[in-house]
Amino acid sequence: MSKISIDNLSIRFRVYHDRSPSLKDFVASIFKRRGKPSFTEFLAVNHVSLEFNSGDRVGIVGHNGAGKSTLLKALCRVYESDEGVVRIEGRLAPLLEIGAGFHPEFTGRENIYLNGSILGYTQEQLKEIEPEVISFAELEDFIDTPVKYYSTGMYMRLAFSLATAMHPDILVLDEIFAGGDAAFMERAKRRMYEMIDRANIMIMVSHDHVLVRSLCNRVVWLDHGKLVADGHPDEVMDLYLRGTNSAE
Amino acid sequence: MNKYISSRALEVFHARDVLRQLVRQQLILRYRRTALGYLWTLVNPLLMMTVMALVFSSLFKVNFEEFAVFLFAGMVPWSYFNSVSTQSAHAFINNEGLIKKIYIPKLVFPLSISVALMIDCILSFAALLMIIVIVGGGISWAVVTLPISFVLLFLFSFGIGLIASVMTVFFRDLQYVIIIAMQGLFFLTPVLYKHDALSGKVAWLVGLNPLVPFIELFRAPLYRGVVPEVNIIIGSFLWALFSVLFGLFYFYRQEKKIVYRL
Repeated sequence: MSKISIDNLSIRFRVYHDRSPSLKDFVASIFKRRGKPSFTEFLAVNHVSLEFNSGDRVGIVGHNGAGKSTLLKALCRVYESDEGVVRIEGRLAPLLEIGAGFHPEFTGRENIYLNGSILGYTQEQLKEIEPEVISFAELEDFIDTPVKYYSTGMYMRLAFSLATAMHPDILVLDEIFAGGDAAFMERAKRRMYEMIDRANIMIMVSHDHVLVRSLCNRVVWLDHGKLVADGHPDEVMDLYLRGTNSAE
Repeated sequence: MNKYISSRALEVFHARDVLRQLVRQQLILRYRRTALGYLWTLVNPLLMMTVMALVFSSLFKVNFEEFAVFLFAGMVPWSYFNSVSTQSAHAFINNEGLIKKIYIPKLVFPLSISVALMIDCILSFAALLMIIVIVGGGISWAVVTLPISFVLLFLFSFGIGLIASVMTVFFRDLQYVIIIAMQGLFFLTPVLYKHDALSGKVAWLVGLNPLVPFIELFRAPLYRGVVPEVNIIIGSFLWALFSVLFGLFYFYRQEKKIVYRL
């Protein structure tokens, strides 16, 4: 049984006005404490409390910059905060950025091991899934070529196949669905749906309303870092779309 | 507190595959697609030290072979410390893309640099040692103490590297400051000269230099053919312990802030 509880979480970002602070600025700021700070703070996630339980298929919606991706990254521990608590039970796999950690100079096979270990697979697991990943990506002939010579499609196929090779308890998705030709897209979608079916909890961020309605049984609406609504997809989506239209 | 330490240690232990991959990446990539490949790691310090030994042995008017061994024994620890300090400054900055996308225990980034450089260091050391034997330099039984020297050198440099890696995230200028500071430190470290050869105004500065016992850890068995004196071993052990503990303490205090400042 997996469970996620977010208790009163805030994530604070600093926006620097001109440039990053240098040693000089730091020394200078010691001497003039009353001077204006060279940055402003804002809350990308503003006192959010949420609980996700087994069986939840959650869609997170909201405008650009509403804090959706930041919230996902907080679940994956990319952003850790002193304000609020995130508790996670179950193995969580982030699918935030497919292909993060690929090294262009390494061959496809070397990247399976490099990126795979970054994704949290063990060496034994990687040995086991390697043939399946290569065949799903249809890269048998190019697997020992450095990935910098790959076409965008080949690169995406390899990254996607690797990222979706294991079935986690908790699946976190940020704007899914990789590139590739029509035939690959079809197979990729099927693989994705299978992964979602097997996951205990699925949380996704998407701007595709049709997709959210079809995949999710719960929708969370965030605006300016704050939780606006949380509930059944039809109710929240209607609210969200109405809110969006009236604002425009 | 104990629980915190063990959970952190466990986390790094679980990330050992990532660590291995990052080390591999560093060792392989640098010389990929060059004709000599990894051999460059061995050839590079060899050529540099030969040139330095030639120049300085004639400048100081000393025997070339003797000076070459003297220089080599000091250069091994110096160049390791120098590389760790300067390269660790980029540990997080160069991996910004990764750190912002996926959670990996951040300690593996500076750790992979220290480990990869230690592998380079040991291999080029082995090559140099072979050359000493071939040209007829004697090797005493005291070299059996060298593994301890390498361990202490690793811990000391890793601690400093940790501090450099975290501080550079907050103050980017530091990566250039470190390079200049290292150039200055080189002359305050008895690599080219004997510790007692320096007198006058700067002699006390050399006395404060924590690297001095580490140089001696290598120079005693390799150049003088004796086991390092007890005070040298204790001194370097205390420095290594202090450096690695303070480095870890500072790193874990700042760890969560790193991603916000990249």
